[in-house]
Amino acid sequence: MAATAAVPRASSSKTESYVDTKRRDDVRQANIIAARAVADAVRTSLGPKGMDKMIASANGEVIITNDGATILNKMEVIQPAAKMLVDLSRSQDAAAGDGTTTVVVLAGSLLKSSLSLLSAGVHPTAVSDALHRLSIRAVDVLHGMAIPLDLSNRDALVKSAATSLNSKVVSQYSSLLAPLAVDAVLSVVDPAQPDIVDLRDVKIVKKLGGTVDDTELVKGLVFDKKVSHSAGGPTRVENAKIAVIQFQISPPKTDIEQSIVVSDYTQMDRILREERNYILGMVKKIKATGCNVLLIQKSILRDAVTDLSLHYLAKVKILVVKDVERDEIEFITKTLNCLPIANIEHFREDKLGFANCVEEASVGDGKIVKITGIKDMGRTTTVLVRGSNQLVLDEAERSLHDALCVVRCLVNKKFLIAGGGAPEIEMSRQLGAWAKELQGMDSYCIKEFAEALEVIPYTLAENAGLNSIVIVTELRNRHAQGEINAGINVRKGQITNILEENIVQPLLVSTSTITLAAECVRMILKIDDIVTVR
Amino acid sequence: MGRNNDRDGARRWRLAADVETRRSDKDDLVAVAETIKNTRLLKDEATEEKGDRARMASFVGAMAIADLVKTTLGPKGMDKILQSTGRGHNVTVTNDGATILKSLHIDNPAAKVLVDISKVQDDEVGDGTTSVVVLAGELLREAEKLVNLKIHPMTIIAGYRMAAECARNALLQKAKDNKQDPDRFRSDLMKIAMTTLSSKILYQDKEHFAKLAVDAVLRLKGSTNLESIQIIKKAGGSLKDSFLDEGFILDKKIGIGQPKRIENAKILVANTAMDTDKVKIYGARVRVDSMAKVAEIEGAEKEKMREKVQKIINHGINCFVNRQLIYNFPEELFADAGVLAIEHADFDGIERLALVTGGDIASTFDNPESVKLGHCKLIEEIMIGEDKLIHFSGVEMGQACTIVLRGSSSHVLDEAERSLHDALCVLSQTVNDSRVLLGGGWPEMVMSKEVDELARKTPGKKSHAIEAFSHALQAIPTIIAENAGLDSAELISQLRAEHHKDTTNAGIDVISGGVGDMENLGISEAFKVKQAVLLSATEATEMILRVDQIITCAPRRREDRM
Repeated sequence: MAATAAVPRASSSKTESYVDTKRRDDVRQANIIAARAVADAVRTSLGPKGMDKMIASANGEVIITNDGATILNKMEVIQPAAKMLVDLSRSQDAAAGDGTTTVVVLAGSLLKSSLSLLSAGVHPTAVSDALHRLSIRAVDVLHGMAIPLDLSNRDALVKSAATSLNSKVVSQYSSLLAPLAVDAVLSVVDPAQPDIVDLRDVKIVKKLGGTVDDTELVKGLVFDKKVSHSAGGPTRVENAKIAVIQFQISPPKTDIEQSIVVSDYTQMDRILREERNYILGMVKKIKATGCNVLLIQKSILRDAVTDLSLHYLAKVKILVVKDVERDEIEFITKTLNCLPIANIEHFREDKLGFANCVEEASVGDGKIVKITGIKDMGRTTTVLVRGSNQLVLDEAERSLHDALCVVRCLVNKKFLIAGGGAPEIEMSRQLGAWAKELQGMDSYCIKEFAEALEVIPYTLAENAGLNSIVIVTELRNRHAQGEINAGINVRKGQITNILEENIVQPLLVSTSTITLAAECVRMILKIDDIVTVR
Repeated sequence: MGRNNDRDGARRWRLAADVETRRSDKDDLVAVAETIKNTRLLKDEATEEKGDRARMASFVGAMAIADLVKTTLGPKGMDKILQSTGRGHNVTVTNDGATILKSLHIDNPAAKVLVDISKVQDDEVGDGTTSVVVLAGELLREAEKLVNLKIHPMTIIAGYRMAAECARNALLQKAKDNKQDPDRFRSDLMKIAMTTLSSKILYQDKEHFAKLAVDAVLRLKGSTNLESIQIIKKAGGSLKDSFLDEGFILDKKIGIGQPKRIENAKILVANTAMDTDKVKIYGARVRVDSMAKVAEIEGAEKEKMREKVQKIINHGINCFVNRQLIYNFPEELFADAGVLAIEHADFDGIERLALVTGGDIASTFDNPESVKLGHCKLIEEIMIGEDKLIHFSGVEMGQACTIVLRGSSSHVLDEAERSLHDALCVLSQTVNDSRVLLGGGWPEMVMSKEVDELARKTPGKKSHAIEAFSHALQAIPTIIAENAGLDSAELISQLRAEHHKDTTNAGIDVISGGVGDMENLGISEAFKVKQAVLLSATEATEMILRVDQIITCAPRRREDRM
């Protein structure tokens, strides 16, 4: 740095942009401090005994969560470097779905070490290069620790989903939710492409009321809607023939503006009659195909159904669910293995879907529509999440999402790794040893960063109210003796073989944590100026 | 209030001046001169700066801009955060000079000139956008010293011109051309791509990306039309997962119930309304007297749409891509006919698709024979990361290809796209003008040496300017070294000594922190880039040096400004 320091500054500039740029070191320092503040904010929510945060948003909404990505998303930070940390947790969410807190805490710790390296006079690019080498090497270490997994080994999958759920508000339900998440993901895996899971094929329906215990996996479809039975239609249909329609059963409406001119009293009667006939005609056509359940897409142009058409449909015992969103149509047709029908003329039997039972069930204070026993069901699944209040419900959904992601990671990359701080300590140990073989700046930086990795076990212990120094030093000791799977057992408050405790997580989560955190820290290090632009 | 008074005062004052002017018609010349001096030529709030003050203002402004981007130069250059003051306070992290400069608010006219040359450099050759600004800034810094020594700006300009010419000749002599030998040419391209990328975010994976870029550019077979290289950004994965794909990828969904895979596709690209064909006369409406008639009209409208769809299908196609929405009804018709219909493809996507598949964009469908259809071997749905996209492979235009960029966040992706774009531009230029130079400050040192010799031979004050030019050239390796945290003074003197030997490949090796052989290290730059940097920087400097008066026009009313 010494050589770069002597750069003359033409400070009396006329450009507006130049007024609020600061000196480069200050900028870097300010960035690092801001980013670390973000990391500190979520630090206490790490681990099974981590605490939750309550977030009150500007519009009075309250969220209670333990999910790093959610906390950071709602924090609305302004400082650009701090924003990058928020993005970091978002990327982790996208890449692995879990470990969103860990990645931020790790980045914060790496930044702390970088700051001390910078103040020791190391050039930022040297720090950044060392960090890159470290992240590559760390991934190798993790691969070395990983345990291959067979997808048929359901127990192992459940264990890792449970590890993810253990740190959440809903941890007491992990025995229920973990197998549920595993079943949900496994049921959508396409045997033709066993490595790819599209989580959009898992639909999560939230319904207030009951407890999280009542959460269930539905082999079929669930709508958070009532059956339209204002006219007294059926609410339960067995041997259902289901049609998904995209047209409307209501009086005709043209695209061009139209008006019906009524010139005398008798015409009024006629028009009413015609309207009735028109709708009756449509209903008859529908009935003719044997259809007895209608799912009607929401229409913005006109009413999808009118009272009159509901009345007729009820008469012919057709169950109607209206206001289905257009973007749900694809999921529905995929599940029911049917085709959407956009015009009454095309209403044919071969476009219908079949199910054993369609029924309206009342849950809590609301009602839902369940379609079960679908014939030739597509590879989709629905999870009905229940909770006693909105906050729990939302958090349960987020936790379930994380658990689903964990299982998806395992499907993508079939390796498990121990949890409980074991991988971090092992990385720290091996990288520390590696640093001794290196020479020059790299060695110096990597040694520093290797120590920074210990932040995860420290935080885990701290959050669990343990004596972190005693625990981490013991952990280090055990790893040095070759027990690579020794980790912090938060429940017992001591060091045990973490694999025996069934605390496992997907390898992908750990690797993406370290690579993403390193990438983000390197980006922050390389910034030497903040310029305000249009 | 105070302002109004001022204005009234000014008006009165001007009236007086008018009267005086009329009177002065008959008076002697001295009085005329006196009056003109007092007359207000400019509007109220307009200002002017003259002579040294004006020159100083433009020097300072231009140098400030150069200093701003200076630290991004070279493989160890730093990045900048661009924080937008507009909506959303978007944050961009970049190392690209043109991007930084483009987004600045600038008030200083000379600074604007520099921003413009960087923009031109970006359009022309795509790379060297920072170098050109830094070189211009250094030339101005040297010029300022000379002006302070009371050397006339015109003399400086003359000297600079001679020096630039000489420097260019020096480069011309040293440039190598390997066009005849395909293997070496390819390795040249690889080297250039790697050199360009090494100062960017893609540095760690530069070999991977250099290969991507070279492959993509070689597919173009000499055309500089970068349109047919499509870059798609998809968050997730790491930069290493980025790949080159022959064919075209459209980020859209296939309609429900339609085939997901088509071989030997015949594609009709269209821009037509597939919701309803409305009568587009305002206020048109129909009057009917019964419900049945309304139903008839509705039926007729449906029938019309059905006819339209039938006409489209009659083109003998099995893939239909529309720029506008396709409503449920026609979508179903297409599905029934087994035609793959893609709705709402954006303008850019449509044009590119028409270009690469060799079809026309149609909007009427009455004459199937006159519409040129696009063709491709295979259309299928592929999954990248979390998203499903439509892939057209085996397209008509063989050079078309798509680069799919993967990265952890949108910042990374945006910056990766900018970097890759730079590399592609440079490579496509190099394919046409295949002369290459070494990098790492080598060309600057070569030029500087020649220019120095010229200075020694040239009599007169011009030689000072020529010498100054050589200094400015040396500033570039100095900055590269400084940005890497190296001892620049020591390195430059070593480098200069090295260059006084007859032939040398010495340049700054930023990685090891010393002087190294650029040929062995594989650091190359395109001749065209260096030449453009040299010439446009000199021209911009000349333009700024010529200025001796800055007139700032009165700003328009507040509400007009942003």
